[in-house]
Amino acid sequence: MSRPSLLDASAARASCLDLWREENDRLVRRAKLRRQLLTQDVLEGLRGLLRSLQGLPAAVPALPLELAVTCNVIILRVSLSRVFPEDQAQGIRQALERVLETQEQLGPRLEQGLRELWDSVLRASALLPALLPALHLLAGLQAALWLSTDRLGDLASMLQTLNGSQSRASEDLLLLLKAWSPPAVESDAPLILQDAQGLKDVLLTASAFRQGLQELITGRLPEALSNLQEAASSLCSRSVLAQVYTALGNCLRKMGNPQRALLYLIAALKEGSPLGPPLLEASRLYQQLGDTTAELESLELLAEALSVTHSSEAPQILIEVELLLPRPDPASPLHCGTQSHVKHLLASRCLQTGRAEDAAEHYLDLLALLFDGSEPRLSPPLCPPGPCMPELFLEAAVALITASRAQDALTVCEELLSRTSFLLPKMHRLWEDVRKGTRELPHCPLWVSAAHLLQGQAWVQLRAQKEAISEFSRCLELLFRAMPEDKDQASNCEQGCRLDAALQHLRSAALISRGLEWAASGQDSKALQDFFLSVQMCPGHRDASFHLLQTLKKLNRKDEASAVWRRLKAQTQPPQEGATWSLPLYLETYLSWIHPPNCETLLEEFQTSLAEPCDVL
Amino acid sequence: MAGTEPRVHYLAGFSCPLGGLAAGKPRVLCHEEEVFLSTGSEFVYVYDQEGGLLTAVYQFPDQVWHLQLLALRRALYVLCARRGIYCLSLESRTRGSSSQTSEDKDSEISSPVITVDPEACVLPHTTLCAFTVHDDVLVALVQSPAQWKMQLFERPCPGEDCWPGGLVGEVELSATMPPVGAPGKLTAPCFLPVLCCVSPPGSRVPRGHPQGCGGFMLEEALFGLLFGADATLLESPVILCGLPDGQLCCVVLKALVTSRSAPGDPKALVKILHHLEEPVVFIGALKTEPQAEEAVESMLPCEDVYSDCLVALGHHGRALAIKASWNKSGSLVPELREYLLPGPVLCAACSGGSRLYHSTPSDLCVVDLALGGTPLNLEQPQPDGAPGGLPPLLCPASLSICSVLTLSVLSRTPAGGTELLALSAKGRLMTCRLDLNSEMPGPTKMTTENAGQKIKELLSGIGDVSERVSFLKKAVDQRNKALTSLNEAMNVSCALLSSREGAPPISCTITTAWSRLQLQDVLMATCLLENNSDFSLDQGWTLCIQVLTSSSALDLDSAGSAVTYTIPVDRLSPGSQREVTLPLGPSESGVLDLPVTMSCTLFYSLKEVVGRALAPSDPLEDPFLEEQPLDLLPEQEGICLPLSRHTVDMLQCLRFPNLAPPRAHIPCPLGPAADLVDTFLETCRPPGSESAGPEALRAKYLPPSTASIRVSAELLRAALEDSHSGVSLCSATLQWLLAENAAVDIVRAQALSSVQGVAPDGTDVHLIIHEVAMNDLCLAGPIQAVEIQVESSSLADMCRAHHAIVGRMQTMVMEQAARGSSPPDLRVQYLRQIHANHEALLREVQSLRDRLCTEDEAGSCATAQRLLQVYKQLRSPSLVLL
Repeated sequence: MSRPSLLDASAARASCLDLWREENDRLVRRAKLRRQLLTQDVLEGLRGLLRSLQGLPAAVPALPLELAVTCNVIILRVSLSRVFPEDQAQGIRQALERVLETQEQLGPRLEQGLRELWDSVLRASALLPALLPALHLLAGLQAALWLSTDRLGDLASMLQTLNGSQSRASEDLLLLLKAWSPPAVESDAPLILQDAQGLKDVLLTASAFRQGLQELITGRLPEALSNLQEAASSLCSRSVLAQVYTALGNCLRKMGNPQRALLYLIAALKEGSPLGPPLLEASRLYQQLGDTTAELESLELLAEALSVTHSSEAPQILIEVELLLPRPDPASPLHCGTQSHVKHLLASRCLQTGRAEDAAEHYLDLLALLFDGSEPRLSPPLCPPGPCMPELFLEAAVALITASRAQDALTVCEELLSRTSFLLPKMHRLWEDVRKGTRELPHCPLWVSAAHLLQGQAWVQLRAQKEAISEFSRCLELLFRAMPEDKDQASNCEQGCRLDAALQHLRSAALISRGLEWAASGQDSKALQDFFLSVQMCPGHRDASFHLLQTLKKLNRKDEASAVWRRLKAQTQPPQEGATWSLPLYLETYLSWIHPPNCETLLEEFQTSLAEPCDVL
Repeated sequence: MAGTEPRVHYLAGFSCPLGGLAAGKPRVLCHEEEVFLSTGSEFVYVYDQEGGLLTAVYQFPDQVWHLQLLALRRALYVLCARRGIYCLSLESRTRGSSSQTSEDKDSEISSPVITVDPEACVLPHTTLCAFTVHDDVLVALVQSPAQWKMQLFERPCPGEDCWPGGLVGEVELSATMPPVGAPGKLTAPCFLPVLCCVSPPGSRVPRGHPQGCGGFMLEEALFGLLFGADATLLESPVILCGLPDGQLCCVVLKALVTSRSAPGDPKALVKILHHLEEPVVFIGALKTEPQAEEAVESMLPCEDVYSDCLVALGHHGRALAIKASWNKSGSLVPELREYLLPGPVLCAACSGGSRLYHSTPSDLCVVDLALGGTPLNLEQPQPDGAPGGLPPLLCPASLSICSVLTLSVLSRTPAGGTELLALSAKGRLMTCRLDLNSEMPGPTKMTTENAGQKIKELLSGIGDVSERVSFLKKAVDQRNKALTSLNEAMNVSCALLSSREGAPPISCTITTAWSRLQLQDVLMATCLLENNSDFSLDQGWTLCIQVLTSSSALDLDSAGSAVTYTIPVDRLSPGSQREVTLPLGPSESGVLDLPVTMSCTLFYSLKEVVGRALAPSDPLEDPFLEEQPLDLLPEQEGICLPLSRHTVDMLQCLRFPNLAPPRAHIPCPLGPAADLVDTFLETCRPPGSESAGPEALRAKYLPPSTASIRVSAELLRAALEDSHSGVSLCSATLQWLLAENAAVDIVRAQALSSVQGVAPDGTDVHLIIHEVAMNDLCLAGPIQAVEIQVESSSLADMCRAHHAIVGRMQTMVMEQAARGSSPPDLRVQYLRQIHANHEALLREVQSLRDRLCTEDEAGSCATAQRLLQVYKQLRSPSLVLL
């Protein structure tokens, strides 16, 4: 009585299985059309199918299809979201538990980790040859997941079990991956989006590349080189290859092989698509070689390359190498910010290398880019190592003054002032709450006074002494208002230190500038007062002492001059140089302007003039 | 004059589910004369205020969570749950982005329903929870399993199928709490995050952003303070984001642009402004400086107004206001102040001025954040035009409009009032006209002319209040009823539990009888629930009868099945009774696994009675309660009182067709699934002739199985003393055995001592009772005993009957033992021998059963045979019950 009904049921299930398989195949074919709306629907369809399959008790005949559908769902989800979602492991775990269910081994395994689960499944799967192709694909997906989450120990152990025990000795991931040979898919198997062999190639490239990058960042260069070369020699897309070549270039540059590095970078450029990283790397290389023209050229090219918006095409419905690579952070050699980052880099390099006209042009370009609201693709170079917006304005103004475009510099400073001055304190002492405040606000007085300083310098260039002196005075007024109250607090954080150093130098620069103006207009006593104040403000600052010395000499006040001279002689060269490293670029450039042109000759001259009366005496 | 018009004007009603609309997701927008409205369902309605009719209804594939209108571009962006963002071009509405039109079942919607084409989905995304469109970019908040992600897209236009290629920036928000939902499965959040876009002053923002569309401008001091010099210098809009965990953070829009490969660094990009510690439901901005008030009033709200105060509102009424002010040392600092407003807040809106409207289930309130708005601070001196501080406390003024789910400030009327567009929980769209002079509390002068107007307003306010009153009244009624019911339940429970001795005040007695349903005889159990207590069993009480069949003897492994019937006791007043009849079997296959145990319990469902009262009668009271409905109630969610337990055994189920009085001749009981032909032959058979059915054949060739039990006559006499008077002991014993059988009367009448019955499956069962003398048991001489013999052609039925008899004997012996009757002197030696025999047999049974489990088929057959023999031996009457 009961036998025929059982037969019926199994017949029905078989036909049902066929139906489900057809549904799977149909959905997979649809997914390959690669339209997002469709793909979403396909994903929903596959999930529904999986739910139906999992509604039945696990049985060996239905499992290959179920595993195939699970794999399809995972592949589709990953390629849709372009990351490995955290809950992917859940899907894999469920599939494994279903496999164990058929073996009636699913007792106390619920608490097991994925790694142990894989162990028992792979041991059990020896009894189930029909499941092997699907299980290998699932293992490939698990490997991708573990690779992207850096769980290499688990990955290696799973691969060892997968390969059988003969390679147990080896712990090397690459060797293990190479030894893995997924069984061929039978022709009548349900369609899958990506087969295990393809996944293996992707995994091989990705793991070699990942390891190489990591070693590159941690500075183990020879290992990095071999891993990267391994990645370059394996199967991968052109864009990945370009990245690998760039990393190789970076590695070789650090190893001191600039010529070989250059060859790799050229190869990377030939591969096309992401042009940014190799160009940036090339500019670093040229900078290291001291070839400024080539360096700036490659930066210009880079800025141009980044300005082209390459249309993003629909991604493949596949697990690709790109998905398994770590997100490029600023430390990575593959990171090349946005167009505005590069523009700023270019402009500041021009400024540093003395190409003032170019620097000015680039700064103006950058400001125009940032303020043209129509382009949403640009972001300001706001990352903490880079300057913030007000500093960008100040750098632009400095570049303009250097390029003798004082009027433009005045405009830029005016703009900055109009947009920040309302944030200035109304009365004295903003200082103490400033120290623990936000990033911008403590700097605000600094920026505003620097803007006044630059405006003064611009007036100097325009030969408008009165305006220049009044700007310098306003700058000084602001600076002395923002006097640090207690020094203990000042030294407790690095940012505070930098701020203090910048403030000190700014004060002395403003005093020197005003003094120079007084001196130029013949009011030497006022000039002397400013230089003297400047020396007092910033005793380590040799420039102020030089100017003081010069003025004293001019006024023929020999005793004081010789005292200054002796102090200058006693001061050994370096401390000032050491302090400047942390100064912002605009301030550094400004300080170079007010640096007395011929210090050494002045010193020697003075020594001789000092020696003569000694001889006389 | 405005005062002559009614204050609240109902425009239209929209379908709403039972219990009202849920808060949080409905939206209402107004552009010129058109009102765009979503109620949280999958429809978006377009209502024409001028014509007073619906002009279009769009149907989306899932719930609509958010609307935003780009008036200049005539585009409506719609966030559809689990689908993504759709863009409807309002220009082409008449041409139709519609693929098909269909008549909606909802009668109140007269205009055709336009099913939105899937092609209109411009940003498909399954976990998108909020968005805002600004200029040419679209900022979306996406829920990922662990945190929120803010994504920046180029604004998609209708008809574009855009891959995430349009993604130009991304940053993760460091939400402390992962969004709700089990790991691995995203569920729809009950609180949506709030996004809004803050523009710096003077930026070239396209005009015509209606209020509430997630955009406003802040004056430069506050903007610079909150968002820093970079945002100020860049003139970049800033996205403010209020998360369900209470975090209020901001992201500078221009800085959010990152390359696709690298999401932005949250530390550099995201700045946390505040933490409200309750879900943020609203972010807005106000203009609180009084000196600009006149200027503001003359402007239309869509005109650019630089707000100087940022406000954020939490679900439970915590409000945050931030304003720039000078501190003592003269530096500009943001002044943060938290207030507590009445909650839960359903929605809120800011007028162009300093007033914040917020809606709770009971009222629509308005607060004024201008320093001068509160009478206390009128005299406070303001130093040289510096921004004044925030008022130390807010006093919300009631507007007497309840349960408004979404608000939109329409415009300022020429008279200086404000007009709000609101959607109530009942699905009513209305405009509320608020007069500036009368809406605020405080010392307003009452003149004769505005007295009349005031009265009119009060009268029109009554209309709104009545809706609220009905809500509250219903809730109170329900709670009272629940309390009464609970009290009764307590009384009943106490009465039942305290009366363990004696007759229970509430009892359930069970009797069984055969009856014929259709073509099959069915054993029916009748449960009689009697309420003899002083309390009535009211709503919430359920009678649960669990029917537990014993496992079939043929199948060693199968456990018995249990069926529980629950019958609501709908009001059982004191003294009344209720009868429930249940079929016990036999089932389709003709099997009735005796004995059947029935246990009756009374169950009082706390969930049904108390739960309903605790649940918000007014769905707006706390619309988000549903997810943690009644954690206060214990797991079982009720009180369970056991009433009685009854076992239905073979003796109760036997039928005696031979005993039936001739006049009420019942046709021969049918086997449950008896063959119709057999039945026919059976009836055709001439009386007296031998039956030729299989039964007869079996009876002929298979010796019937027998079992017997001996009981000492003395014991029986003692037990049956009251009933056996006048009849022989054998007959009395039979009557006692069949006491619960319907045939007992006939047995009594005919004083039978042996009887032939039919078991439920149709086999014959003989019960023969006769007296015997046991000679070698007692030293004092032979013991008079009664032997009860069971005989049946079916082994199973014989066993069941035997089991039933043994069961009765056990109870009887227990009772007698309790009475302390003394057994006569026995020959212990003999007893011991019998006992030892039986023990040996039992041991054998045990080992045989063990073997049965392990052996293969051939072996087990032999074992089973042997087992049967041993059982037979065990049943042989060598012992007597004394």
